[in-house]
Amino acid sequence: MPKKRSVKIISLLVLLTFFSCLFYGCSKDNDNTAKASKPESKKTADVIRLAGGNYGYLSPYAHYPRGPGSFKMRLIFDSLLEKDEKGYIPWLAEKYESKENGKQYLFTIRDNVKWHDGKPLTAEDVKFSFKYACKHPMVSSSISQNDIEKVEIVGDRQVLVTVKKPSAVMLGNLGTTRIIPKHIWENVDNPKEFLDEEAVIGCGPYILTDYSKEHGTYRFEAFKDYWGPKQRVKVIEFIPVSEAILAFEQGEIDMTSVTPDVLPRFENDPQYKIVESPAFWGYRMIFNMGETPVFRQKEFRQAICYALDKDDLIEKVQRGAGVPGSAGVLPPGHIMYNPNVKQYDHSIEKAVELLEKLGYDKLKNGVRVNSKGEKLSFNLLVGGEVRLAEVIKEHLGKAGIEINVQSVDGKTRDARVNENKYQLAITGHGGWGNDADYLRERFSDDTTSSGSISPNMARFKGYSKPELSQLLEKQFETIDENERKKQIFEAQELLAEDVPEIALFYTISYYVYKPEKYDGWMFMFDHHSLEHSKLSYLERD
Amino acid sequence: MKGIKGGRLGEYLLTILIVVTLNFMLPRAMPGDPFLFLSGEEAGDIVVSYSEEQRQLYLEFYGLNKPVLSQYFAYLSELCRGNLGFSLYYNAPVSSIILNRLGWTVFLVLAAVFFSTLIGAALGSISAWHREKWVDKTLYALMITISEIPAFLLGLILLFGLAAGLKLFPLSGAITHFADYQHLWSKILDILHHSILPITALTIARLGGMYLLSRNSMTTVLAKDYIRTAQAKGLLKKRIIYRHALKNALLPIVTRVFLSIGGLVGGAILVENVFAYPGLGLLMRQSVMYHDYPLIQGIFLVVTILVLLANFTSDLVYKKLDPRVGQLEVAQK
Repeated sequence: MPKKRSVKIISLLVLLTFFSCLFYGCSKDNDNTAKASKPESKKTADVIRLAGGNYGYLSPYAHYPRGPGSFKMRLIFDSLLEKDEKGYIPWLAEKYESKENGKQYLFTIRDNVKWHDGKPLTAEDVKFSFKYACKHPMVSSSISQNDIEKVEIVGDRQVLVTVKKPSAVMLGNLGTTRIIPKHIWENVDNPKEFLDEEAVIGCGPYILTDYSKEHGTYRFEAFKDYWGPKQRVKVIEFIPVSEAILAFEQGEIDMTSVTPDVLPRFENDPQYKIVESPAFWGYRMIFNMGETPVFRQKEFRQAICYALDKDDLIEKVQRGAGVPGSAGVLPPGHIMYNPNVKQYDHSIEKAVELLEKLGYDKLKNGVRVNSKGEKLSFNLLVGGEVRLAEVIKEHLGKAGIEINVQSVDGKTRDARVNENKYQLAITGHGGWGNDADYLRERFSDDTTSSGSISPNMARFKGYSKPELSQLLEKQFETIDENERKKQIFEAQELLAEDVPEIALFYTISYYVYKPEKYDGWMFMFDHHSLEHSKLSYLERD
Repeated sequence: MKGIKGGRLGEYLLTILIVVTLNFMLPRAMPGDPFLFLSGEEAGDIVVSYSEEQRQLYLEFYGLNKPVLSQYFAYLSELCRGNLGFSLYYNAPVSSIILNRLGWTVFLVLAAVFFSTLIGAALGSISAWHREKWVDKTLYALMITISEIPAFLLGLILLFGLAAGLKLFPLSGAITHFADYQHLWSKILDILHHSILPITALTIARLGGMYLLSRNSMTTVLAKDYIRTAQAKGLLKKRIIYRHALKNALLPIVTRVFLSIGGLVGGAILVENVFAYPGLGLLMRQSVMYHDYPLIQGIFLVVTILVLLANFTSDLVYKKLDPRVGQLEVAQK
């Protein structure tokens, strides 16, 4: 009898297995195969698949402020300028010049540009876009009513923008503002809630043909009447993946970023190509100088720089995938990086020397004290980066500085830093490749920040150095690129001497793809991701 | 009888009110607010954050700078009108965001409850009947082992083994994207195919508990006099188990099934993250991360109502299965 029962159960299991195999059969035919075309022309791809996720509807107003929504939106919406490896290039504007010492910008709009609905793009649309973006700031635009005095149309294809105050970043801000069709948006009063199909009509190289909020999928098709370079990828699909590397190995997606520990899987295999991203994501250690007097001493901050072994940090925390932080803040990959600034090579002796000079010459239980009995013991606030904090603790401990690690969740850390409730803190974020003007946002006294900012620009109260402030304000108004570069170089020197904050390291990510399938990937000059660049999908000369 | 029903209803309403209050207070007790980003999460994360003025503007716009109590009453009054609010991060009504996702989670949970109960009860009965013999011992050891593995770990094992290794199942998602289905039927098959691994993970994770419970319950019932009578009458084993024993052994199992729905929703959330399944799980994680108060409140409210609903159903079903419960209540009155 019992035997009979177990036979039944086994047959049930067999049946279940059979059914699962049945289901298996039906999705097999959806295999994605993008054929490489004739070798004589540049390689094109029919379909490129990438890891997706829901980042919002792709109008310039509806995508989410976090994550790569803005870059997906840019596939649909063009702007006057575009970014290549070296800097800005003419895009919707075939020519541009700054006049009156940066008070005016004259853009010549390209002819024969069409919106996705077939209507022609005119200078009127450009004028409208600037005005509209001033009135309703786009999620990632940087222009506001405080910036622009007036926008005029000159002739039939030129747009003259007069700004309130000349600024070095204005060209970039104007040039990257998305151009939207007047005939669609002029009647929209609440752009955030405008989620019609018309809201994603742009003049960019791709049309959004499918978007699923719940699944986090996007599908783009090449726009046939695109004015610009031919699309090398006909269809781009973003699909959700559980494990990106697994999905890449299985051919579900065509490119992914990989962590250093799985790199060997792809390293010596000719079918894969690995590229290293520019290191534009970094950690900085900040000092709350208002609360803790000793932090105001330059020598103390320098001593910390000497005590930290940045290479060791990168080795232990990043498994080697990082670039040591520059004392001048701007990362080495930055177009305005000054390679000659003072750097603090790891040296406990020098750190100790500086601390002794400050009067902390006695050791008590391994912690330095001065004659008043004040201990060099501080709290280090981190939002989960415990490993990093522990290594720092170990480094500083060798110089007699005691660190108590306080680990909270990221949001709590942000809130406490914002309210000045910390001694030392570490924050990590991207954007280090952005325009060097972020130095002004971070370190100048009289910064009047406008529009939306990024964590990269967040400044922390308590630090003031008039000389540096003046210089940073001056570069902001300098239109001449070479002149400005000199000023930024000088600012980095001042920063390196004064170290108001410490750039710990910038992380490197690795991307891997199969060149056999598609090889058009490129990095924009200020950004770390291959898939975010519009030019990654277009033909190049 | 009516009074008792009214009392029950009151209890449920009170529970909902307490939960709503907690849902409202807890997210706000977290430091930070939805508009403060000073850091990016991981390498590659892009963040647009707000200047202090913008932040204040948004706080005012969403009424987040008002006293907590007045926010609370505004929330309650909107809730009574069926308005769950507007998500700060997703820029859409909370109800529509949740409705889009809810079906997937409910589907996973119900399927997992169904299979784990069915298989668990069957194996439990077998074990009870063969108590202390090798069948029982093997099953027992096996079940104890797998019941200790958390669902998401099972999910990972299944993902690497069956999906990545043997390529029997898709790696992620709930459906083949951008597919052109010939029939509705092929779409349904596709959805089922995608759901097998998550459901299996959840089912296995629940199986141990169900098995132990039904084994216990069955053992108790099998020791009862009426079973011995049935055996003495020479009834077939099948008949004894399914006609006489199972019905009585089912009582605690039914209760357990409904009570376990709440726990399963929790497990489903983790499993969904493993398979990038578009249920409430991922949504909940993100809403908490971004401090999207209305969305957090909405999700927790929906989950609460689901659990209460399950409890309520279990009350009803229990009464049906065990006539004594209904009679007892009448007698008390």
